[in-house]
Amino acid sequence: MSSPGLRVLIVDDEAGIRGFLRASLEAHGYSVNEASTGEEALQVVPAFRPDLILLDLGLPGVGGKQVTSCLREWTQTPIIILSVQTDESEKIAALDAGADDYLTKPFGSGELLARIRATTRRIGQQDSGPVFVTGDLTVDLAGRAVRLGDKEVQLTPTEYSLLKAFVIHANKLLTHRQLLREVWGGAHYEDPQHLLRVNINNLRRKLEADPARPRYIITEPGVGYRLKTEQHVSGAPSGA
Amino acid sequence: MPDEVPSTAVPNLPTHVSTDEESSARSEFSWKDRVLQLGDASTDSWWRGVPTSLAIAGLITILGLWIEPVIRGPNLAIFYMLAVVFSAVRWGQWAVIINAISSAFLFDYFFVLPYRSFVIGDVWYLITLVGLLTVGLIVSALMVATREEARAARRREMRVSALYSFTQSLASGNEFDQILDAVARHCVEIFQRPIVVLLPAAEGLIVRFASAELVFDANENKTASWVFENGQEAGCGTASFSGSRIRYRPLKTGPDIVGVIGVQTKGSKDLLPPDQRELLGIFLDQTALALTRADLAKKAKRAEVLQEADKLHRALLNSVSHNLRTPLASVLGVLNTILEDASLLDVPTQQSLLKTAQGEAKQLDWLVQNLLDMTRIEGGAIRVKAEPCDVHDVVAAALRQLGESARSHAILVTIAPGLPLVPMDDVLMVQVLVNLLDNALKYSSADAPVEIRASLAAGQLEIGILDRGRGIPEGELERVFDKFYRVAVPGAPRGSGLGLSICKGFVEAHNGRILAKRRTEGGTEIAVFLPLEKRRE
Repeated sequence: MSSPGLRVLIVDDEAGIRGFLRASLEAHGYSVNEASTGEEALQVVPAFRPDLILLDLGLPGVGGKQVTSCLREWTQTPIIILSVQTDESEKIAALDAGADDYLTKPFGSGELLARIRATTRRIGQQDSGPVFVTGDLTVDLAGRAVRLGDKEVQLTPTEYSLLKAFVIHANKLLTHRQLLREVWGGAHYEDPQHLLRVNINNLRRKLEADPARPRYIITEPGVGYRLKTEQHVSGAPSGA
Repeated sequence: MPDEVPSTAVPNLPTHVSTDEESSARSEFSWKDRVLQLGDASTDSWWRGVPTSLAIAGLITILGLWIEPVIRGPNLAIFYMLAVVFSAVRWGQWAVIINAISSAFLFDYFFVLPYRSFVIGDVWYLITLVGLLTVGLIVSALMVATREEARAARRREMRVSALYSFTQSLASGNEFDQILDAVARHCVEIFQRPIVVLLPAAEGLIVRFASAELVFDANENKTASWVFENGQEAGCGTASFSGSRIRYRPLKTGPDIVGVIGVQTKGSKDLLPPDQRELLGIFLDQTALALTRADLAKKAKRAEVLQEADKLHRALLNSVSHNLRTPLASVLGVLNTILEDASLLDVPTQQSLLKTAQGEAKQLDWLVQNLLDMTRIEGGAIRVKAEPCDVHDVVAAALRQLGESARSHAILVTIAPGLPLVPMDDVLMVQVLVNLLDNALKYSSADAPVEIRASLAAGQLEIGILDRGRGIPEGELERVFDKFYRVAVPGAPRGSGLGLSICKGFVEAHNGRILAKRRTEGGTEIAVFLPLEKRRE
């Protein structure tokens, strides 16, 4: 299980964290570069051309959210935010700005590697076919059909576009704001959070066997939701 | 002296007599009043009693003429003598002199041979006349002195009783406002002048009391400040700031000046009489003492609060340092062992040591997180971002966050169908549920299921976490939510004593309630109640 050639840029001001990340990533075959500030990261990215960026939120000077917005102006390189629990609002801002996922410190290398694999795989899969399958759930994007096992599931148009957004960004953490934008467009509603949660609730009731232990639609408290795919651990994807 | 208004003002003193002793003292004065004419001083002029004395002398003469056949003329002198003494006792010098002289002449004219003439035939009668006059004057002089003494005593009594009631009202309160109120009330009542009281504050001297009719402007403030800084009297009737209509006096206790009192004069020359000035001096001393006492009381209270806080800090420090150092010691121990003795240890041993270190480090991380949360709660930094949430969602997130321990232990989830979305901050509420579930799992045996129940109860969302653990003793059901409080159970799992108090802090930030109950068949239920309506802010 190695990832030959996959290039990861670590942006963190703590030398200890950089050292630990470099060691575990290199041990798994990634090639690693480091930056200790936001400014340095913005300089390094065009030259190093990383396949993935691990970005610490608590950087001095140019912060993680700003780095994300700057990078998103010209590149879709996946970004995983590294945050501590107190960064809640900054974390959401960075995700809204286009970061792909986050990890809360402290985390183990196993968790990190799984997250990196999921993110890079998702990027690689973006152009996969019109039929999405995970566990018992089948979503046929071309035929607008949703099946759970053999049974057809009836969804309202809103529920369907919500599910479609999840399928398109399978495994990606979608913030409340991103989901609202994707499903309801720019329209303004009285209480958008309420609207979103009611529809998620309905969708879960139709798709999940036990809504208290959801299998597909996972809540990230205070941040958003993600569609979790149940995939066999395959070899690492090559290239983004 | 312009301010020499004799005793006239004194009888106007109000008397606050309440005790029995004092009322008897007063009645004693009443009979003296009647005899010594201490009452209304407005009749205290030189001719007082003169007409009456004349009339008495005339009356005795008529009486004498009537009884002369029985009592011989010269003996009648004794009646005149009585009248003179009476005048002396009752009135004053002038009444005595007039009485004595008129008596002498009347006696001589009617009862001394030769009758109906002022010629004195016998030298003995002359002696009688002189005696009459002398006795009268001596008695009257004595009486005047006695009367003065009685008046002075009465003045003293008035002053003492005024001071007594003043110090009593001062002693009744330890608060600045109570003291100021007493000072204002008594001073205005006794001295009949508008007054102003100024006390120092952070921004300088400020007016704490001023009579309604008193004019206090910036100039006056300057005068008062000068008094406060120099500790000397100023204003009306003094060398400094004599243009003011208010006379300022510093309130001193020893070398310290605790405030300034100003007494306004009525006219430009109307200052206080000397005895009242003396009384005011005593009042000021008492006031200064009372204010100092109030200040000290305040400081003592603050010191007590600080001490309390200090005690809490020490408890916190003890708990934190113990809870922080214990896991840290394990981590360091493992790391040192592996660094130094790696060659002596086989791989499985190293693995197991590292697992221990990992567990301890996790414990440390969890503790730090709890401490941070506690700090946020106590610092009022918890901002509840209440959004309508699905209870399923929150429970699911909590179970997922618990990870392995939630999967390996049976957890029954019962969520009433048709629950509405409830406004809450899901990040905080997930943490509450994680803390409660973590506790429940820690204290449950492996085969006893933990339950989560959610339902509507009396217009509120009720979430219960139920276990079959040891249960909390009856008397400690409330205290378990206290910071650092832990139920004393030998061999209990390690904990910081912060988990439940954090839950309480988070739930209360939602305007909710949390309480612990004993389950009848054993175990504990922690119930969380949340309002269904979003709080209006």
